[in-house]
Amino acid sequence: MDIEASYKWLKEYLGEDFEPKRFSKEVTAKSFPVDYTKSMKGAFDGIVVGEILSIEKHANADSLNLAKVDIGKDDPIALVFGSKVVMEVGYKIPVAVAPMVLPGGLEIKKSKIRGEVSEGMLCLDQELGLCDKGMSIRFFEEGMKNGTPLDEALDIIDDTIFDVEITSNRVDSMGIVGLAREAGAAMGIPFTFTPPTLPEAGSGKEIKVDVLDTEGCSRYMAVVIDGVKVAPSPAWLQTKLLLSGHRPINNIVDITNYVLHEFGQPMHAFDYEKLKDGKIVVRRAKKGEKIKALDDETYELAAEDLVIADSDKPIAVAGVMGGSDTGTWDGTTTIVFESATFDGLSVRKTARRHHLYSDSQLLFEKGLSSEAPEAALARAIELTLELAGGAVASEIIDERSSAYEPLVFPFRPQKARDLMGVDLSNEKMIDLLERVGFKVDETNGTYSVIVPFWRDHDIEEEVDLTEEIARLYGYHNMPAELPDSPPPTTPEDPALVWEMRTKKLLVGFGYTELYGYSMISAQDIIAYDLDPASAVQIHNPLTADLTHMRPSLMPSLLRSIERNQGERAVGMVFELQRVYVPQKDDLPEERTELVVAHYGADDVENAFLQIKGGLMSLADMAGITFTFERVADDGHWHSTRSAKILVDGRDVGRIGQVASKYTQAFGIDKDVMCAMLDFQTLVHGMEVTRRYEPIPEFPGIDRDIAVIVDAGLAYGDLVVAVEGADELIRSVKLVEVYRGKGIDEGKKSVTLSMHLRSDSKTLESQDADGAMGRVEAILTGQFSGIIR
Amino acid sequence: MKNDLDNIKNEFLKALEDVSDSLGLEDLRVEYLGRKGKLSQLMKQLPSMAEDVRREVGQLGNDVKKTLELAFTEVSSAMNASEDVARQQTDWIDVTQPGVRPPGGHLHLVTQAIDEVSTIFKRLGFVSTRHPEVDWDYYAFESLNMPKTHPARDEWETFFIGDGGTVQEGKKGKVVLTPHTSNGQVREMEKKQLPIRMININKTYRRQSDASHTPMFHQFEGLMIDKGVTITHLKGVFDYFVKEFFGPEREVRLRPFHFRFTEPSMELDITCGVCLGSGENEGMKCKICKEGWVELGGAGMVHPNVLRAGGLDPDVYSGFAFGWGVERTMVMKSDINIDDIRVLYRNDLRFLEQF
Repeated sequence: MDIEASYKWLKEYLGEDFEPKRFSKEVTAKSFPVDYTKSMKGAFDGIVVGEILSIEKHANADSLNLAKVDIGKDDPIALVFGSKVVMEVGYKIPVAVAPMVLPGGLEIKKSKIRGEVSEGMLCLDQELGLCDKGMSIRFFEEGMKNGTPLDEALDIIDDTIFDVEITSNRVDSMGIVGLAREAGAAMGIPFTFTPPTLPEAGSGKEIKVDVLDTEGCSRYMAVVIDGVKVAPSPAWLQTKLLLSGHRPINNIVDITNYVLHEFGQPMHAFDYEKLKDGKIVVRRAKKGEKIKALDDETYELAAEDLVIADSDKPIAVAGVMGGSDTGTWDGTTTIVFESATFDGLSVRKTARRHHLYSDSQLLFEKGLSSEAPEAALARAIELTLELAGGAVASEIIDERSSAYEPLVFPFRPQKARDLMGVDLSNEKMIDLLERVGFKVDETNGTYSVIVPFWRDHDIEEEVDLTEEIARLYGYHNMPAELPDSPPPTTPEDPALVWEMRTKKLLVGFGYTELYGYSMISAQDIIAYDLDPASAVQIHNPLTADLTHMRPSLMPSLLRSIERNQGERAVGMVFELQRVYVPQKDDLPEERTELVVAHYGADDVENAFLQIKGGLMSLADMAGITFTFERVADDGHWHSTRSAKILVDGRDVGRIGQVASKYTQAFGIDKDVMCAMLDFQTLVHGMEVTRRYEPIPEFPGIDRDIAVIVDAGLAYGDLVVAVEGADELIRSVKLVEVYRGKGIDEGKKSVTLSMHLRSDSKTLESQDADGAMGRVEAILTGQFSGIIR
Repeated sequence: MKNDLDNIKNEFLKALEDVSDSLGLEDLRVEYLGRKGKLSQLMKQLPSMAEDVRREVGQLGNDVKKTLELAFTEVSSAMNASEDVARQQTDWIDVTQPGVRPPGGHLHLVTQAIDEVSTIFKRLGFVSTRHPEVDWDYYAFESLNMPKTHPARDEWETFFIGDGGTVQEGKKGKVVLTPHTSNGQVREMEKKQLPIRMININKTYRRQSDASHTPMFHQFEGLMIDKGVTITHLKGVFDYFVKEFFGPEREVRLRPFHFRFTEPSMELDITCGVCLGSGENEGMKCKICKEGWVELGGAGMVHPNVLRAGGLDPDVYSGFAFGWGVERTMVMKSDINIDDIRVLYRNDLRFLEQF
C-alpha cells in the first residue's frame, strides 16, 4: 500500500527542517521505499488563475459554452468549455493557457472548436492529475490575482510529494503522523507531535450505541455535533486533501478524510436525523438485508458481514463503506462521528465477498489498534467546530470490550547483537527503540520493552525488536562478511547433476532445449490418448489452455512441433523436465522425463540413428547400457520403426517414429522421430564408479567383410551371431549398409569391421583367416548371405 | 685409387649441378652413395691394399664420402623446399569458404541462468536441492509463519489442485502449486542435516499472466542455518553473488521490508547497470531504476517460528534465507530486451535459437 505524503504536512510534526532528498534517502534505507518524489514547484507550468468575464452559448453545439477569461494579461482569452461543472461570471478557476501540456500528457493548443477559437482549457482537479476519481474543481477567492501561477495560488510552490510504499505490517505509517515519526527516527530529527484531546461532553441530542458483536468491533466511539453548516472546505484543507489524493467533497466528509490521512484511522460521519431512534447498533447483518452504499451500488449482505445499523436497518458496512441514505449532504445540520476499531479479518472477508473496497477497508484489514480512535475523534471534533460551526451535543460515547493492555516483551541485548553480527551498545539499541515510541524498562540487568499501541498488531515477539534496531541502525552501516563456519558435507543430488550434464550433451549433439509450461490443456492430453482424469488437475486454472499438470512431455512436444513446423521445416529439439503423476492420498509424484525429437528429416532412418547414437553416448557417459528391443504393439509408436529402451531389463522408454495418428491429431504434417525416457529411473541406474581395463599387451588385427543378405534381416541379430563366431573377435563395427545399384531388390549389403585380438600372443595372418572363415560360415550358412 | 676417388667426387659434384628434380637426385644418390654405389664398390678394394696405403686411402675415402653427403644434403633440401613451394601452389584450399559448424543446439535461457547461479553458490558451499513444486499448504504457507487467516496469504495468487469442485486436501492441508521456493525451507530443516547451506531452484506458480508475468516462473531460494549466522553474513553472501554474477563494479543495498517468514526482513537492491548507480542517464532521470538502484529480491533472517516449525531451537540456531526470480535476474544481467516475458515459454525456435 502506498501513501502520498506532503513534505510540508510532514514538517508540521518534526522539530527541524530537512531537505526532501534526505527524507527519500533515509526513509528508504531505514523504513520504507520512497517510490518517487515530486516537487510541486513548476508542476503546473502553463496553468494560471483565470476569471470568467462573460459566458455565451456556443452557436453550433448545445453542450458547449464560450467564455472570455481574464488571465492577468492586457486582453482576455477566449475559451470553449463543456457543461461538466456549472460556471458563472466572476468565478476564478485554473486555466491552462495554450500552448502547453497538462501533467497527464494532454496537449493544449490554440484551436477552433466547431468554428469558435479556444486559447486554453478550464481544468478540473482530475485533469490536473490531483486525484483520479470523480469530478471537482478549484475556485479561488476574489482577492486572488488573475494570472497567478497555479502552484503559487494553491500555496504548494515549496511543497514536495513523496510516494511511500508502506509494507503491509506497518499500517501505523499510513498516516502523516506515523510517517513523520518514522522519518524523524530515520533522519535523527525530533518528533514533536502532540495528540489532540477530547472536548467536554455536550447535551441536547440523545445517542445510544449498542455493540452486539465485540469480536468484530473492539471499540466504538461516537459523538453528536449539532448546528453544523455543510459547505465546501477552506482552500488549505482542500489543497492538503488533493495533495494526498483525496477529492474534496464537503467540509464534514473532508474532515473524515483529513483525519484518515493524518492518523491512518478511518472515521465516518452519519446524518443524525436519518438515524432511527438516535440509535447505533454494531451487529452482524440479518439474512436478506440490503444497503445502498456511498458508491450508489446496492449490496445484499451476508450473515457474516458486520454492519452499523440504527434500530431498524443497516446504515454502514462496518469499516468498509457508509450507506448513501445516512451520509452527510448539503442539508445536514446534525452529524454523528464514528471512530471505531473493527476486526481486520471480518472487514477483509466482507470486502472480498462484495468486491467492495475503500481506503478505510484497506487500513482496517491490516489491523488497527483499539487505542487509535480517540485522537482521531478529538481531531475531527476540533476541526468541525472550527470549519463547520456547531457544538458538541451529546456525551462522548466510548464502548470497548476490554481495557487496553499494552504488549510487553522481554529483550535480551546480546541476542540482538548475535543476530545482527554488529556490536551495538545497550544504550544505542535502547535509543533506537525509543525513537519510534517503544519504552524500555530495566530491572537488575533484565530488559523489557513496552510496545506503543500503534504497533500492537505488528510486533509479535522479541525478534521483532531486533528488526527495529537493525533497520534504524541501517543495514548499509553493517559490514558484509562471508560465513567462516565449515560448509556442509551433503553430496549433490545426482538427479540435478545428471540433468544439467544431459542437457549440455544434447545441445552439443545439435538439439535445442524446449522449455514449456508445466500446465497443458485437457484437449492436448486427450489428443495424445491419455486420460485427463488421471492427470493432476488445477482447481482454479487461469486460462482454459492451462488446466492440468502434464502427465507426459509428449503432448507439449507435439504441440511445439506443430507450432514451429511452418517456420522451421526441420528441427532437432529436446525437453528434460518434470511430469506429474497423481498418487492416492499424497502429493503427486514429480518424475523427470526426457524427450528428444527430430522432425521433418529427409532421411528418417538417419534421424532415428542419430537419436539412438546420442542416447548411446549419454549411456556411455553415465556408465549404463541401453538395449533396444523392437516394439510393434505400442499404439503411440510406428509399428515397424520403434523400439523399447531397456536398462538391465527394465523398460525405461521408447525410441522411434511417433504414430501418424498422433502427428495428425496435433496437426503435424511431418514425420517425427523421437525418444522418450524415464530419466529418473535412469539416474538410479547410473554407475558412478568406473573401472580400468589394462591396455592390451599384444596388437590386434582389423578385418572388414561385406555380405549381401535379405533386406529384412535385423542387424542386431546378425551382429550377435558374428560376435560369437570366434573368441578372437573383440568388437564388431558397422561400416555401411547399402541398398541400391548393384544389389538385388530385397537385398542389402552389410559391411562389417572386426577387431581381432588375443591376450596371449601377437596374431599371425593365418589366425585371423581362421576366425574370418568362421564368420563367413555363419554369414553364408545361418543368414544365407553372399560374401562380396 | 686416389685418382679414382677424386674422379668420383668430381663426377658426382658435376652431376649434382645438372640434376633437375628429386627423382634424378635419388638416382644419383643410389649410383654414388648407395650400398652398391660407385663409392662402396671402390672402397671394397681396400682390404687388398698394403697396410700403410690402406689407412691413407681409407681416410681419404671417408672424407670424400662426407663431402658427397654434405653436398647431396644441401641440394636435396634446397630442391625439397622449392618443390614444396610449387606443390603448395597447386594444393590450395579456399580459406574464404564458410566454416562447417559442428551441429549445435541451444540451451534454454532459464537453464543457462540456473546453471550460472548454482555454480556461483556452489563455490560458497551451497548445495543444490530440489523440493516439490506441488506441495502441501503446510510447507508453502502454514509452516512459514503464515496462519490460515493471515492476509499475507492473499498476496499470493495461488493455484490449488482439485477438480474445480473441491480442493484436494491431505495430511498437511490443501495441495497447492507452490507460489515461491520458500516451501523448501522447513522441508530442508526436516532432513535434520545441519548445518544447512541450500540452494533450491525450482518452478513456481502464480495466477498471473501479462507482459511481465508468466503463470509459471522460477525462483531460487538460498537458505543457510547454523549456529551464529548473522545479518552481516547474509550481506556478505549477497555481495559475493552480485559481484560474481553481475560484475565487480555493482554495489548492493539491503533495505527494510516485510515478509512473514523472515525477521528482520529486507529487500535486496543492486546498482543499476544502465546508469551505474547515478540515477541519471544523459542528464535525464534513469528510466530503468529508482535513484540508481534496481530491486533484485527479498531476504531476511529466518523467523523463529519457521525454525521452530523445522524442529530447531531459535535460541541455538539462526539462519538467513533469500529468494528471487530467475527470469528477472537473467534479464537484468543480460540486458536482453524482452518486451513480453511470455516468449520464454512459447517454445518458438526462432526465439530459442538466438541464445
